[in-house]
Parts: sequence; structure tokens; C-alpha cells
Amino acid sequence: MITKNFAYHAPADLHGVVTALSAASGTAVVLGGGTMLVPDMTHGKTVADVVVDLSRAGLSGITLDGGGGPHDGPVADDGVSDGRVADGRVADGRVADGRVADGGVVVVGATTTYAHVLSDPRSRTLAPLLRRVAGGVTGGPQIRNKGTIGGSACYANPSSEVPAALVALGARLRLASAGGTREVAAGDFFTGAFATARRPGEVLAAIALPAPTGPCPGYTKLKLNESSWPIATAACVPGPDGALRVALGAVAATPLLVTLDPPEAGVADPAWRAHVREVVDAALAEPWSDVLADGDYRRRVAPVVAVRAVADALQQAEGES
Amino acid sequence: MTVTTSGKAGVRAIGSPVRKADGPALLTGRGRFLDDYSLPGTRHAVVVRSELAHARIVDVDVRAAAASPGVVLVLTGEEAAAHAGPIPHFIEPAARGGRHADVRCLATGKVVYAGEPVAAVVAGTRREAEAAAALVRVEYERLPHVLDADAALEQDAPRLYEEWPDNVILHNHYGTGDVDAALAGADLVVSDTIRISRTTTAPIEPRGYLASWDDLDGTLTVYGSLQNPHQLRWMLATSLGLDETAIRVITARVGGSFGLKMQGHPEETLVCLLSKLTGAPVKWIEDRRECFMAGAREQVHRFTIGAMRDGRIVAVRDRIVANTGAVSAQAGWAMPNMSATTLASGYTVPNVRAELHVVVTNKPPLNAARGFGKDSAHFVMERMVDLVARGLGADPAEVRRKNFIPPDRFPYRTATGLNIDSGDYPGLLDKALRVLDYDALRLRQAELRAAGRHLGIGLAFELTPESADGPGSFVSGFDVTTVRMTMTGGVTVYTGVTSPGGGNDTGIAQIVSDELGVPLSWITVVQGDTERCPSGFGNFSGRSMVVGGGSAALAARDVRAKLAVVGARMLDVPVDEVKVADGRLRATGDGRSVPVPEVAAAVLTRAFAIANDVEPVLEATRAYKPGNIDHVPDERGRIQPYPTYSNCLHAAVVEVDPETGVTKLVDFVMAHDCGVIINPALVEGQAHGAIVMGLGAALSERLTYDADGRLTSDRFKTYLMPRAGDLPTIRLEHQVTPSPFTMYGNKGAGEAGVGGAQAAVANAVEDALAPFGVTVREVPLSPPAVLALIDEARTR
Ligand SMILES: Cc1cc2nc3c(=O)[nH]c(=O)nc-3n(C[C@H](O)[C@H](O)[C@H](O)COP(=O)(O)OP(=O)(O)OC[C@H]3O[C@@H](n4cnc5c(N)ncnc54)[C@H](O)[C@@H]3O)c2cc1C
Repeated sequence: MITKNFAYHAPADLHGVVTALSAASGTAVVLGGGTMLVPDMTHGKTVADVVVDLSRAGLSGITLDGGGGPHDGPVADDGVSDGRVADGRVADGRVADGRVADGGVVVVGATTTYAHVLSDPRSRTLAPLLRRVAGGVTGGPQIRNKGTIGGSACYANPSSEVPAALVALGARLRLASAGGTREVAAGDFFTGAFATARRPGEVLAAIALPAPTGPCPGYTKLKLNESSWPIATAACVPGPDGALRVALGAVAATPLLVTLDPPEAGVADPAWRAHVREVVDAALAEPWSDVLADGDYRRRVAPVVAVRAVADALQQAEGES
Repeated sequence: MTVTTSGKAGVRAIGSPVRKADGPALLTGRGRFLDDYSLPGTRHAVVVRSELAHARIVDVDVRAAAASPGVVLVLTGEEAAAHAGPIPHFIEPAARGGRHADVRCLATGKVVYAGEPVAAVVAGTRREAEAAAALVRVEYERLPHVLDADAALEQDAPRLYEEWPDNVILHNHYGTGDVDAALAGADLVVSDTIRISRTTTAPIEPRGYLASWDDLDGTLTVYGSLQNPHQLRWMLATSLGLDETAIRVITARVGGSFGLKMQGHPEETLVCLLSKLTGAPVKWIEDRRECFMAGAREQVHRFTIGAMRDGRIVAVRDRIVANTGAVSAQAGWAMPNMSATTLASGYTVPNVRAELHVVVTNKPPLNAARGFGKDSAHFVMERMVDLVARGLGADPAEVRRKNFIPPDRFPYRTATGLNIDSGDYPGLLDKALRVLDYDALRLRQAELRAAGRHLGIGLAFELTPESADGPGSFVSGFDVTTVRMTMTGGVTVYTGVTSPGGGNDTGIAQIVSDELGVPLSWITVVQGDTERCPSGFGNFSGRSMVVGGGSAALAARDVRAKLAVVGARMLDVPVDEVKVADGRLRATGDGRSVPVPEVAAAVLTRAFAIANDVEPVLEATRAYKPGNIDHVPDERGRIQPYPTYSNCLHAAVVEVDPETGVTKLVDFVMAHDCGVIINPALVEGQAHGAIVMGLGAALSERLTYDADGRLTSDRFKTYLMPRAGDLPTIRLEHQVTPSPFTMYGNKGAGEAGVGGAQAAVANAVEDALAPFGVTVREVPLSPPAVLALIDEARTR
């Protein structure tokens, strides 16, 4: 039970959100779907004076941004923009006959839920990897209906799937505050277990993904059983040069990005598997360890999920061609 | 509650899959659970628990908590001890040759586990109570603690109870025969160790109590989510120093229990005391993290088994060390006893010796849990049988067949003294193998193996002694039921047994329906109220249909006999020429009939006319004592506390991924024999639940603690129970071998599955990984544990 009284705000837009955050006295927390925050407050792990609920701020949705939308003001790279607060919503993207033009940006609003990702047909073409992640989130309809992509990113639980998916995709996180908006690359956003580059007073407004050009990325998730947190995930995004960009999740405090050679002799080739093991092992300085699985186990299965994600990606590519 | 029936007129209710009487209420959210009870002025309690596993309490500072908004009372252990005595044990260890320790509702002097209640807060709302509880400051002087049972047996181990010479609550030997000689003469001798991790029962509804002390007439009314209202009344009378007759215990609908809600918990006495001290009704609802503290099982077995070349098992020796955690007044500590006495299960092993150490540690106490220790016996026995088969290069099915007690040798007295009533174990094996298509499956396994895939098949037999009786204790082998008919033919059944959610009330109604000859819809079953129900013993040990059902049958027959006398007069035929069925009393000759309500009205309103010389009560209270219980020790000192022995044969098919260690359940079959089945739907529901509990223990469930003894698996994301997606369709096959010792030939049903499913899965995983040569030595077989097994086999 939450034993301490707190002030509650549910602003009607992003401007209201950042204003409420900057005006807050004491500890302010941002409420997404609440699937982690509410239990944390119930257990006294998080104690807040102010809760700013995003549910009415209009930050949900998946759109293709071709440029020129109102949100798309001059945004400094990892810096502060001209002071204008971005609107997480963007005009409907152009999705011409299912194909996405190169160079576009897919904007996923921070409060987009897993259920939204699954029910929005545009996610098939604009965010296929997030769609796969969303489809495999456990916890049933409750979690899929309430849990948000932005919430998972900001919670930065090493065992959650969104962080590594964002790193795999080369996503950029749009952080808004009363001082303006900045973008942080996913690779820089996750700074540790349950730690991000988000500063106090900042809210994650949206996540920008390069519009997909190739086939659907490969994805694998390993859990101990259905009720388990993910123990190791791997998302494989084949690059135009043939190199394989693989982001491993849940195996370390933050997502791990490795580049693998393509398996010329197939994924069963022992020499290629040895290469995967070597690359993953070298990158995995300190495996994550928790009640469910220790670091040794994660070190063992990290290359296995990497191999399977690559195999899956190659299969997807084959299916497309 | 009204029982609805799908049964047709003239069809016996017994044996049909009648739906649970309370199904509609549960499905539409109208089930009244403890937290749905509210009395005017109810206040709410929160328990402050020890953060340390072992420490002296130096000071409890309640000032800030007492000044917190809404707080009515903050109670410390010292103050509680001035008002309440120790809680009497459900099963007193000293009476069983073990050691006694006082357990109080709040710790005094020192704490012996992290989570032990040290203080309690009562406030106007739960929220105020929780806020205040966080302000209670307890100063401790840390003492060295011990969490592992083997370590606790060491000479210099920290001691929990200073008046004890060691940390052993019970040490005993069981079994007969010359094990050493038999092992010396055996062709094959296998020794190994098996570790069974600590698990919990995790019912969907945690515990909870609402106590209301009436200061004007000095009476106490307790509502609770519990299994044994009469025993609790006695226990509260003892700990609170009240007359039993001043206490009424009412059992709310129970949302699952599995033994957890048998009495002996500190909060039972505590909540009543808080009501007495505040003069207001006090409610306490356990939260999920508190509920996770309750341990269900934790044992290490070091065994040796000997067999002849032809597969005959000649001897079993087992040294069991059970970690019972800190002492509680609940019955949990006694479970490992059954782990020892249930060896060597349903096999004709003439020489058995089990040595048992039940050890206290600074973990939270074990609580009674479905299986009650028998589960561990089967897990270990079935692992041993598989090791024999492996050692001899024999088929595990055939080694079982070779050693089963033959169907014509029942009743059969085992080496540890159990007198098994009846059974056809080879029949179960045949059934299971047929359903499995065993030979074809073995071929498929070989094909897959050649393709680098690891399919495994595991078998396990399970024997479930049920409906226990413990002389001088409240573990009673009989029970009592009242059947009462109203003037209009309505029937109320008041029974001493309770239902933890399994639906025995429906089964009892079916029995009364058949015996009394009235439709199920006329029958209401009342359970769990010490003022309304006869003195009985509630629910444990698969007893409710055996003794609740048996006593209901006797009482119903008495009522029917009276109806028959008066009804026969009304029809003007001899009494032996009427029968009662479908709510009518019928002349067997010409078929004329009179409705039962008219006969009932005649008995009760024409007592000086047509019912003259018939005692005008349409009510009977009867006790039922099944046969086969014998507490007179035989020439070898063995007693026989169980009337019936259900049995079953499990077959698990798994596929193991040797790269990740993940085990997938592909198929699960259980051939089951609980004698005559009163309601197959209820039996199957119980079997499914017990199997899944075993599958969870086999593959994923484990309570974990940090080095300081604090529970780290206190949520469903860290204590991993199986979900539907983890499970194959469980296929059940029934076999009916009636018990000669019970009313209908029925046997207890409800516990069978926990041990057998664990063993079948463990055997299947070992079989799947046979190409690596692994030996399973512990559960759960979580993916990391499976990889470790493969590693260990590789480096050997
Ligand atoms: C039963 C269960 C099963 C689950 N299964 C999975 C699974 O299979 N895979 C998986 O990856 N995850 C799983 N999760 C985790 C789930 O992904 C996250 O709970 C969810 O996505 C978090 O989103 P939320 O909106 O509910 O976050 P919240 O609980 O609202 O917030 C989480 C944290 O992020 C902060 N926050 C939220 N939104 C923002 C924002 N826009 N800007 C700044 N800060 C913000 C909050 O202040 C809080 O600190 C599961 C969770 C549960 C409870």
C-alpha cells in the first residue's frame, strides 16, 4: 500500500508535463503505464511527493516523420534545443504501399503501449522489432495494455526487452524539460542497471527510430519459464554491408552491441559459432546476475541467443526475397 | 449455497461429474472471502517483522509509531506475553519424541528468522497501520545464524534454542530388515545424494483473520481463511486463556490453502489479542510477500539402494536431513516423518532403513504443504528405481513392474509399517504406457537422438497414504456430520470437514443426495463454523470425502430410515417395501409414491397420529471411523495411521535444449487410482493442481535467501510458478480399485501428484540427457541447473 500522500497531476499536453515537473517541490516521478512504478511505490521502494501522469498528455502513437512536422524543430545532438518543447505526436507518416522511404524517421510516442504496438497495423512496417517484442511480453493483457515502450526504456531494467531493441535499432530518445528538448542515442541513454541519462525534470517524450529499410530484424528471447523475466535476448539487424548488428539484452547491466561476421557456411558452422562466442565473450565484461540466473549462466547463453537471432534474421530475409 | 446438478432423475449423484456448488458464485465474483467480511468499527493490523535471521531484541521503540495518525495500538512482544501464553503446537514435537520450543504471537527476547513477528500496529486503516509500522524502531544485537541444515548439525553451529543441546527437533529411525546384509549380497549397489529445494504453496488468496472481542459478554468471534476451525478454537482458548465455549470460529470461503492455512500461525493469536486489547474488531490480511515466507519442503537424502541382476530391489537405506526452519506451532515440522515412513513406497522391498534428522535453522518455518512429506519420499524412491534400471541396463518400466506389490498381496504391510489397503499397480503401469504409446515413443526418442535432439521419458509411481490419524492429537482419522431435514424437505448438512476450495462440499452433497433419495438441489452444506457444525477436524490429509462423506452417509441413512417408517404407513405397505429416490418415497410393489416433503411434514406435524411412536426428529449426527487404522505397535514397533492409500503412475515426456538448459514439457500422463470416485470432476481438478505443483517444484520453483537469511524470492517474478504456456495437456486415466476399509471404497484424493510429477520430470530430464551421462541430484531443474549437470558430466 502507498502510505505517503502525494500530489497528482495529469497534464493535457507535453508542455503541461514539463511545467508540472519543473514546478514540483520534492521528489517528482513520471507515471507511464505504472506497471513498475505502482508496485515500487506500493513496496516503498519509490517514495514520491509528486506524480506526473502522462496518460492524458497525448504522447502515444507510431508515426512516420518525413520532416517538417511541428515537433521537428532544431534539435541539438545530446544538447538542448532552442527551448521549444516538442510535441510527441506527429502528423501521420507516409507509408506508401507498405514500403518506407529511406531516411525517414519513425516516431514512437513514449506512452505507446505494447497493446497499441500490436493493434496498430503500421507497426508491421514501421516498427517490426518492437512488434515482436510487444507480442512476447509476459504478464498478460494487463501488462500489455498498461506497460509503455517509454516506461520500459526509462526503467532501464537490465532484464527488460525494450532497451536492447532500441540499441539494436539505433534509436534516439527525445527528452523534454522546461529547458527544452534534447536527443540521446540509445547507446548512450542506458548508463547502468536501472539508470539512464535522463535528468531530473526531464520526461521521455518520444523515441525516434530510423525507418526500416531492410527485412525484419531477427529476435530471440530466452526465459526460464513463462513467468520468468527475460534472461537473455538478442536482436539482429543486418546492415547494408552484410555485417550483423546484434544487440544483446538482459545479459549485462546495459544492452550490449556487437557486430558479427555473416555466417558464410551457415549458422551451424562451428568456426562461425566460435567467432560468435569469442566476440560476445569479449564484449561481455560483467554479466548481469540476479535471483533467477547468475552471471555464469548468462555468459553461457549469450552467444547462443546471438546465434539464434542471426539465424532468425537470415530466415526473415529469405522469407522476404 | 445451493448445489445445482446436471444429473438426470434416477441417476445416482455419486460418480457423476457434478459441477462445484460454488462455481457460479466464484465465477461471478460473489464468493465471500475473508477480506469481504467487514464489521462496524473494524480496525486494521500490520505486523512488524524482524529484518535479521538471528538476533537478540535489545529495544523496541514504538513512540513514533504510536504518535502516527490513526494509530490505536502498538504492541510489542513483551506486552503481548503479558496477555497471551505460548501457542500450543498442532502436533507437539515432544509428544513424538522430539524437542519442544515455545512459540509466541510476537517474539520476546530474540528473533530466530527474518520475518518473525516482533510488533504489531493497529490503526483505523490499513494504510495508517502500514505507515506507522515503518516507524517502529527495533534495536537488535546480531547473533550468528545458520541457514543450511547440514551446517546446523555441526557441533559448533549457532544454536536457535539455547535450552536444546543441538539444532535437532526430531531424530528417529524407521524400517525393518537387515539392510547391511542385503546390500552386501546385492548385485548392484547405488549410492547418491538428492537435494530438494525449498518451495512454497502460494495459494491465490493469502491468509487473513478478522477477530471481534465482545467486552460485554466476554466472547470472541473469529473469521478466518483457514482449514481447521475447531482445532483453532482450542488453540486460541489455550493461548489466550479463554473458555473454548466463549470462542466462535467461522471459516470464510478459502481461496486455496494446500496445508498453509492449518492453524498454528502467530497471527491467529495475535489478531485476537489485538481485538481484545483495543476493544474493536481487528482485521489482518497477509500480503503476498509475507505469504511467500511459508516453506513447503526442503530435504537432503543420502541413499543407498541394492538390487539383484534380475531387477529385484533388496534394500534401501536413506539418511534424511530435513530443514524445517525455525520452530512454529504449525504442523510443518512433522512432514519429514512421512518422507521416512513412506519409503519404500509401493514396492516389495524387505529391508528398509531410514534415519531422519529434522533440523531447525534460521529460515522461516516450514508449514504443512500438500504432499505432507510423502512427496519427497516418492521423489527419492523413484529416482532410486531409475538409477537401478540404469545400473542394470534395464527398462525403468520393467524394473517397476518387477518390484510392485502384486495385486493379490493386499493388504500389504511395508517395511516401515504402513498397511496398504489395496491396489493394482501393474494395472496403472499398463494404462500409462498404453496412453503414452511407450514403445513407439522410445523409437521416436531414438530417431530424435540421432538427429541431435534430446527427448526424455520419465516414469514415477506414487503412493499416497491419506486420511491420517495421530493418537492424542488433533490429526484425527474420523469426522462428524449432522444431516437435518426441514418440514418442507429441505436438507442442511453440517459437517466437521472444511473445503479449502477443492469442492468436497459438492461431493458430500452428492452422497447425501443418494443416501437420502432427494435431489441435489434440495441440499445445502454448511462447513467451518464451530457454532453450527458438529465438532470435527476440518481439512487435511485427503480425509474430507473419506470421513466427511462417510459420516454424512451414516447420518443421511438415519434420517431416511425415519422417513421410510412414516412413508410406508402413508402408503400402507411394510417398511421394507419402500424406497426413497428423486424426492419421492415409493412403494416398490405397485409404484405408488408420496413426495418426501409430505413425509417430512407428517413426521414433524403428526407426531401423535401417523408418526406415533416415531421419535420426531428429522436429524442425525453421526461419526464415521474408517477401518485399517491401528495404533497398537506390532512386534516390530510399527503403527499404521492411514486407512487408505491412493496410488498413481506418472509419465512425463520432456525435450531438453542442451545449449540453454531449458526443459520443455511435451506430454504428461497420470494413471490414477483413488478407489471409487465420488465425483470425477473434483478428483481430476485436484490431480491437475497437484501435478502442476509438482511440475513447478521439478522445474522452476525455489525460495531463495540472501546470505543474511532474507527472502529474495518474494514475488511471482522471482518465485517462478508454471503458467498455462509451460504445461502440456495433462492426460488422466482412472483405475478403480475399491478400498475395503471405507464407506464407498473411496480413497483420499488431492495430494497425489506433487511427488510423482517431480520424480517423473527428473527421470525424464536424466533420460533426455543420457547421451551426456548426467545424473540428476537436485530439483528444481532450472535451465542453469541443467547446464551445470551437463558440465559436470562432461568433466567427469
Ligand atoms: C508481470 C509483468 C511482466 C512483464 N513482462 C515483461 C516482458 O516479458 N518483457 C519485458 O521487457 N518487460 C516486461 N515487463 C516489464 C514491462 O516492460 C514494463 O513494466 C513496462 O513496459 C514499463 O512501462 P510502464 O509504462 O508501465 O512504466 P512505469 O511503471 O509507468 O514507469 C517505469 C519507470 O519509468 C519512469 N517513466 C515511465 N515513463 C516515463 C517517461 N515517458 N519519461 C520519463 N520517465 C518515465 C517512471 O517514473 C518509472 O521510474 C513486465 C512487467 C510485469 C509487471
